[in-house]
Amino acid sequence: MKRSNIILLILIAVAVGVIISMVGDFSTYETFRSAARQPDKEFHVISVLDRSQTPVYNPVKDPNYFSFYARDKAGVEQKVVFTGSMPTDFEKSEQLVLIGRMDGSQFDCSRILMKCPSKYKADHAVQARQLESKL
Amino acid sequence: METHYIGEHLLPGELGHFFVLLGFVAAIVSAISYFSSARSRIPEVSISWKKLARAAFFIQVFSVLAVFAVLYFIISHHYFEYHYAWEHSSRALPVKYLLACFWEGQEGSFLLWTVWQSVLGVILICTARDWESPVMTVISFGQVCLGSMLIGIYFFGYKVGSNPFALLRNEMAGAPIFSDPAYLQKYIRDGNGLNPLLQNYWMVIHPPVLFMGFASTIVPFSFAFAALWKKRYTEWIRPVLPWALFSGMILATGVIMGAAWAYESLNFGGYWAWDPVENSSMVPWLCMVAGIHTAVSFKHTGHALKSAFFFFITAFILILYSTFLTRSGILGNTSVHAFTDLGMSGQLLIYLAIFLIPAYGMLIGKNRDIPSMKKEETLDSREFWMFIGSLVLFISAVFILVITSIPVWNRIFGTHFAEPVEREFAYNRIEVFVAIFLALGIAVTQYLKFRGTPMAYLKKKLLWPTVVSLILGSLILFYGDIHYDRFGGGFLAAILILMFCSVYAIIANLSYILFMIRGKMRSAGPSLAHAGFGLMLLGILISSSRKTVISHDPMGLLTGAFPKDSKQDSRENVLLYREVPMEMGGYDLTYRGDSVSRVDGKHFYKISYVRRDSATGKVEESFNLYPNAFINPKGQEGLISSPASKHYFTHDIYTYLTLVNDPTQIRDTSHYEAHLIGVGDTVFFADGYIRLDGLDSHPVTPRYRPMAGDIAVGARLTIHGSDSDQFKAYPVYYIRDSTYENNIPDTVTQLGLYLKFDKILPEQRKIELSIRQSGQQNDWVVLKAYLFPYISLLWMGTILMILGFAVSIFKKIAPPKSSRPPPALKTGS
Repeated sequence: MKRSNIILLILIAVAVGVIISMVGDFSTYETFRSAARQPDKEFHVISVLDRSQTPVYNPVKDPNYFSFYARDKAGVEQKVVFTGSMPTDFEKSEQLVLIGRMDGSQFDCSRILMKCPSKYKADHAVQARQLESKL
Repeated sequence: METHYIGEHLLPGELGHFFVLLGFVAAIVSAISYFSSARSRIPEVSISWKKLARAAFFIQVFSVLAVFAVLYFIISHHYFEYHYAWEHSSRALPVKYLLACFWEGQEGSFLLWTVWQSVLGVILICTARDWESPVMTVISFGQVCLGSMLIGIYFFGYKVGSNPFALLRNEMAGAPIFSDPAYLQKYIRDGNGLNPLLQNYWMVIHPPVLFMGFASTIVPFSFAFAALWKKRYTEWIRPVLPWALFSGMILATGVIMGAAWAYESLNFGGYWAWDPVENSSMVPWLCMVAGIHTAVSFKHTGHALKSAFFFFITAFILILYSTFLTRSGILGNTSVHAFTDLGMSGQLLIYLAIFLIPAYGMLIGKNRDIPSMKKEETLDSREFWMFIGSLVLFISAVFILVITSIPVWNRIFGTHFAEPVEREFAYNRIEVFVAIFLALGIAVTQYLKFRGTPMAYLKKKLLWPTVVSLILGSLILFYGDIHYDRFGGGFLAAILILMFCSVYAIIANLSYILFMIRGKMRSAGPSLAHAGFGLMLLGILISSSRKTVISHDPMGLLTGAFPKDSKQDSRENVLLYREVPMEMGGYDLTYRGDSVSRVDGKHFYKISYVRRDSATGKVEESFNLYPNAFINPKGQEGLISSPASKHYFTHDIYTYLTLVNDPTQIRDTSHYEAHLIGVGDTVFFADGYIRLDGLDSHPVTPRYRPMAGDIAVGARLTIHGSDSDQFKAYPVYYIRDSTYENNIPDTVTQLGLYLKFDKILPEQRKIELSIRQSGQQNDWVVLKAYLFPYISLLWMGTILMILGFAVSIFKKIAPPKSSRPPPALKTGS
């Protein structure tokens, strides 16, 4: 066997090893309840904003405290606290991916990924609504 | 009965769609003719096919350019009956952004791609000589595939492509407004406009460069494919090298431009976030660079030919895969800037498969026919380490791709994995070792000779570069203040080793230019590119590991409201009231007020930075930054903000707004407060004090027009602001017709001060001065500020690397002055 082939095999083995060992680091999509079982680990939770409760953000008091209520896929409602400012277009979001951990009664969130109609311009349904509103 | 709509311009659209179809058909004819030409063994037949193919290709080129022109015509004339114009442009859009809205959408960006591929095709027709027919077969076929993305015709109920000339009323059929024949006049007066985030000069120049990079990867692929097909396994390397270098250069430029755009004008807080969209354009570049190195290695030694085939084929396949990733909507949950699904994911997969299967099929099928060296590379030879370097580049590309493709694995295997929570660290902790290896390889490999190097020679040549690098590295180690310990000591150690290695890469390559090729710039391409890459690594390393948050929130520090054992301190937002300075990161930051651009309604916020000597209080550094934002732009609510930076050679100070008080919400609730003062007295207000310098019995100011019988007094005031700023004000008090008390207030707008001279109290030798400071309590901004040290190294390194590519291309295509070929061993090309 040629030396370069051996090195190729070694490199591939290392790469496979690294990737497999990383699978353990991959986060998973959870619900609030399943995230509560491992409060020391951060998870992704897919949820929607509960519009019946007003999000709390008072930058004059603390520009890094933002709290709101969200409902996950299992229908569980949860208070979420985000250390940061309220994201733009937050109230228009159709879906929220929250990254964080459960801490007692609240979900401490370190990052919010939003799915917004405005960011996804080509959304057909939104455009249809826009046209109707012109009437 | 069919409605007859008023005011529509249907001709351009019909013309445009005609050219889309013509270009598509011409590309098919061209591909088939080139294929026949390449297959034919009879020279006359081959030539006549080639003539037909060329004619068809030129028709195709003309059609594509015509489509481009018609679409631009529609957008620039604001024909909103066309869905594309309505969706992406608006009347108020400045002319310079009309091109940007052209490629905001998927159709326009495919069009851009096919335009570049046409241009490259024309150059190939002129230069490829006997490679023309087989290479252009592949390129024409690529044009067929790209053209099919634009035709927008139904075949057997499946919509193929998306027509950029579709009418709004057809795309949105069923919307009630279209029952009115005059819908265009009544309801569609204006388009949706370009996303404000994209109204930026980077949006005008970044996509064309990036898409040229995408388009250029098909050329090395086509050469590799043609070589396999025509069994000319070795001859293709010489013509492919300039193309591969060109592709590597343009792709790198496009990717780094994207990074610079993210840094300069998007508020991502950095230039690289390992976002899937960023990754998927870098991964093909890694593969292309691996291909270049193996091809060079083959040219000089005959080794690594199979790898060169594999890498050039794979680079293009990866471009197609990236296109699928970013345009199929599959990244929806993980990326901030992927396209949405236009219902073309199936078509994109076919595009991928139609190139992937035959190319790899042939590579595997003809594997035994491809010549390979019986003798092995020796450990002290240049080709051996070039090959290992290429492998490492490729493995690193695979690693990035596997992690980036998590959503794809979820779709295939039904799993529910999400990307690692600490995304950047997940990539960095692996890539830091890749970078260490590459930097070392870059430093040493050029000093090795092809086919083996005497050890004594190597030691002699490498001694001084090594010593100088160790000294420089140690200096950075002791004075560079790199102590990035967020992820533990192991990662910090790796960073420090990488720092030494990248310094080594820079120094070794510079000394190679100076002492090995003695400044002959013609041969300096590889060394320049490698030194540039080393400089980029060093810039990335220092700017990322020493990035500091200036805007740490002091309130948060006091209340201790951090999330429990969170590694990430996200309290980076700071609230600034207007004219109230706040000390952070050694600077006094003051928000001075905002102004609105008349062109596009953008708000600019003036933030002043002042740094003083702590002992003497003397101002050492003072500048203003103007981060800006669109507030409630059309169709959206909230803030679309862009950062502003102060660039120094050693560091950048970077600021952007995360929130502003809605200007319509600012109500002035302040009121006047009266003060009694005499001449020489001072009164304090929130940001400083006011001194009454004197009183004039005959005030002279344009605001006061004296009349006969007036008794008037003017108060000379000096206002000392929070900084050393001084302002003058001159309110006037007067009695008219000996009964009416009147006054003319003065204002200091910079401070929001209103000053009123209300009364004179002669017996106390005092006056009554009323002061109001408006808007301060509800005029504020929330911002983040960072310090990026030595980010200039990254940009300088990029320029150097691109220059190195350019020099190498020049050397490959321009014949040397003397007919004698330059000694290959020394030039290292």
